[in-house]
Amino acid sequence: MFDGLKDKLGSFREDVEDTAEEKAAEADAEATPEAEAETESKSDEDRPGTVERAKAFATGKVIIEEEDLEDPLWELEMALLESDVEMGVAEEILDTVRAKLVGETRSQIASTGELVEDALHDALLDVISVGQFDFEERIAEAEKPVTLIFTGVNGVGKTTTIAKLSEYLEERGYSSVLANGDTYRAGANEQIREHAENLDRKLISHEQGGDPAAVIYDAVEYAEAHDVDVVLGDTAGRLHTSNDLMAQLEKIDRVVDPDMTVFVDEAVAGQDAVERARKFDEAAEIDGAILTKADADPKGGAAISIAYVTGKPILFLGTGQGYGDIERFDPEALVEDLVGE
Amino acid sequence: MVLDNLGSSLRGTLSKLQGKSRIDEEDVQEVVKEIQRSLLQADVDVSLVMDLSDAIETRALEEEPPGGTSARDHVLKIVYEELVDLVGDSTEIPLEPQTIMLAGLQGSGKTTTAAKMAWWFSKKGLRPAVIQTDTFRPGAYDQAKQMCERAEVEFYGDPDEDDPVKIARDGLEATSDAEVHIVDTAGRHALEDDLVDEIEEIESAVDPELSLLVLDAAIGQGAKDQASEFDDAVGIGGVVITKLDGTAKGGGALTAVNETDSSIAFLGTGETVQDVERFEPNGFISRLLGMGDLKQLSERVERAMQETQEEDDDWDPEDIMKGSFTLKDMQKQMEAMNKMGPLDQVMDMIPGMGGGLMDQLPDDAMDVTQDRMRHFDVIMDSMTEEELENPRVVGQSRVERIARGSGTDEETVRELLEQHKMMERTIKQFQGMGDGDMQRMMKKLQQQGGGGGGGGGGGLGGMGPF
Repeated sequence: MFDGLKDKLGSFREDVEDTAEEKAAEADAEATPEAEAETESKSDEDRPGTVERAKAFATGKVIIEEEDLEDPLWELEMALLESDVEMGVAEEILDTVRAKLVGETRSQIASTGELVEDALHDALLDVISVGQFDFEERIAEAEKPVTLIFTGVNGVGKTTTIAKLSEYLEERGYSSVLANGDTYRAGANEQIREHAENLDRKLISHEQGGDPAAVIYDAVEYAEAHDVDVVLGDTAGRLHTSNDLMAQLEKIDRVVDPDMTVFVDEAVAGQDAVERARKFDEAAEIDGAILTKADADPKGGAAISIAYVTGKPILFLGTGQGYGDIERFDPEALVEDLVGE
Repeated sequence: MVLDNLGSSLRGTLSKLQGKSRIDEEDVQEVVKEIQRSLLQADVDVSLVMDLSDAIETRALEEEPPGGTSARDHVLKIVYEELVDLVGDSTEIPLEPQTIMLAGLQGSGKTTTAAKMAWWFSKKGLRPAVIQTDTFRPGAYDQAKQMCERAEVEFYGDPDEDDPVKIARDGLEATSDAEVHIVDTAGRHALEDDLVDEIEEIESAVDPELSLLVLDAAIGQGAKDQASEFDDAVGIGGVVITKLDGTAKGGGALTAVNETDSSIAFLGTGETVQDVERFEPNGFISRLLGMGDLKQLSERVERAMQETQEEDDDWDPEDIMKGSFTLKDMQKQMEAMNKMGPLDQVMDMIPGMGGGLMDQLPDDAMDVTQDRMRHFDVIMDSMTEEELENPRVVGQSRVERIARGSGTDEETVRELLEQHKMMERTIKQFQGMGDGDMQRMMKKLQQQGGGGGGGGGGGLGGMGPF
């Protein structure tokens, strides 16, 4: 994930560095008297005043101006879009970087590279590291049984994720029961039953066409009666444009009142990730997201977009078809890795 | 719909050119920027977007608009041509015996697509069979089997066999009397080497005439690599875009088409087996640019009319044109309308109705209309045969009874009667016309929607009784 972006961020830093170097060279060449002549021509409010500029020249500093950043920022925007970061979110990142860099004085000793690195680091962390909480801690501290409901559009991998998470919890000493709230899709019961059998977990399911809320409710009752720690409730995939199905999701959320609602989407998703994350969050407020298919060489922007638009953290990445293929998502480490040398 | 965003924002930008006879560089750059934004927001590959917008910019500045053409029409024509050029024709699917293999990422919708395509072939009079070779994903066999039952098509799969190549081979043999074989495969991505090897083996075992790449409309910039890897492995001859009933624009499909040098074959627009459309490039681009898509519309009308007629032998839509227009006819027409799909999709295909006008309607306008139609349907169910055949017998006491019986109110019942009267009057006017008049009228409609340059969408087809 993010392989492309890492390269591009590196070249953004170099671009800005180059621009700053050029300016520094120009500044050295420019004699102080000429700076005075500029006073009349440049009266733009946004720009550092002539006095400041002169002071900067005198102390051997260069001020980064908005126009210096125009080209590198355009390149950066394209890089973010190429990485599937949603356009609105990309613009947000650009604004932060611009605000942090413009007017910054670069003394000739401190490298521009560091300045840019910091700005990128902060801008990315701002959008991707939101509402962080410790998933395991939350499970440990919650009153048992803890009920988790998984939502998302069709084919993103909700059921597979539930199976993986059940295994993840088992390894950490938590028992779980699976509930098939997908009473619609052909083959849904068979799919989750096979996972339950493979993992030796109890599955609560009703007939196809039944009430999904009732299935999950039954699973909670089962968990209470049998001392099971966690209820993992699946729901049918639905497109956020289907009013009926989104209303059904609201009902499930209301009736079951889960401890955690997890939005599942695929890491290969593009611009639309923002739209659907927002709609699902509106219907049944989410606590966090899991991104699947992270092994399919995704660009990774969906992670940034979803975290930003919902203000909820990305909790896990699905990284393969085996039950063990699930990893915690660590935004700090990711950003470190992205902007580091 | 695919790229509908491009449609509305482009129309917005282009309307700024309205009235200008010459365009300067600034105008062109603004239009090009808008196109870039829209295409990028639609998940089209970044470098492809740049190529496309460069071409549009160059042509718009260099080519002299033909005499009498407004600047707006000139730019519109160029955008139209460049897009048509990029999208290409739709994948040729001959209506003859053949084998088609489906490939794609996990969860892209291959199994649903297989059943939908089989349904489509069966409607075209061919006998299809679906062969399910996904031995990996739990529930895949059951899903495919149930979907095929819904599509009423032949199905082969073997839940006890682990070797997809063997299933594919056995499946072809077991369904040898079917004319079209659709081979569904397990989801995989381009980095899973052993799975890529596997699909290559399946490919050589079934030797398909055509391999289609099934892509989720929401896929991002990764579409490019996935498409080229699948193309290397099995040779992609066409692309199916699924889940187009969401808000994703499906630009990844354009990237894939460009990358594999192929074309778009089918569009998936819903969860039932009927929710499949052949891709029509001209109509698609016309719709995109707000010019309507008459061909697609007439196909839907014909199909829906035919189905409604099949269900009820006594009812022939042609009769409307001859005799009186009864409530029964109205109910059938509404049924047929429903079969054509969601109203907003249908509206989008009508020249002059789609695009610009649709953007101005409130979002829920279509829902309201559809609700009304549902109410009307319930009301008509509460009417007697006599009332349906001759609505004039319905007086105040009958209105009361019908409202009670249908759980609606008297006002809605009266609205229905009013609506029927209006339609009856309209139909009466049509009845005087010969076939020729009808075609002239349709042509006129089309020209009005065609917006001058660019040439309107596909041909007329038979518009039936409409």
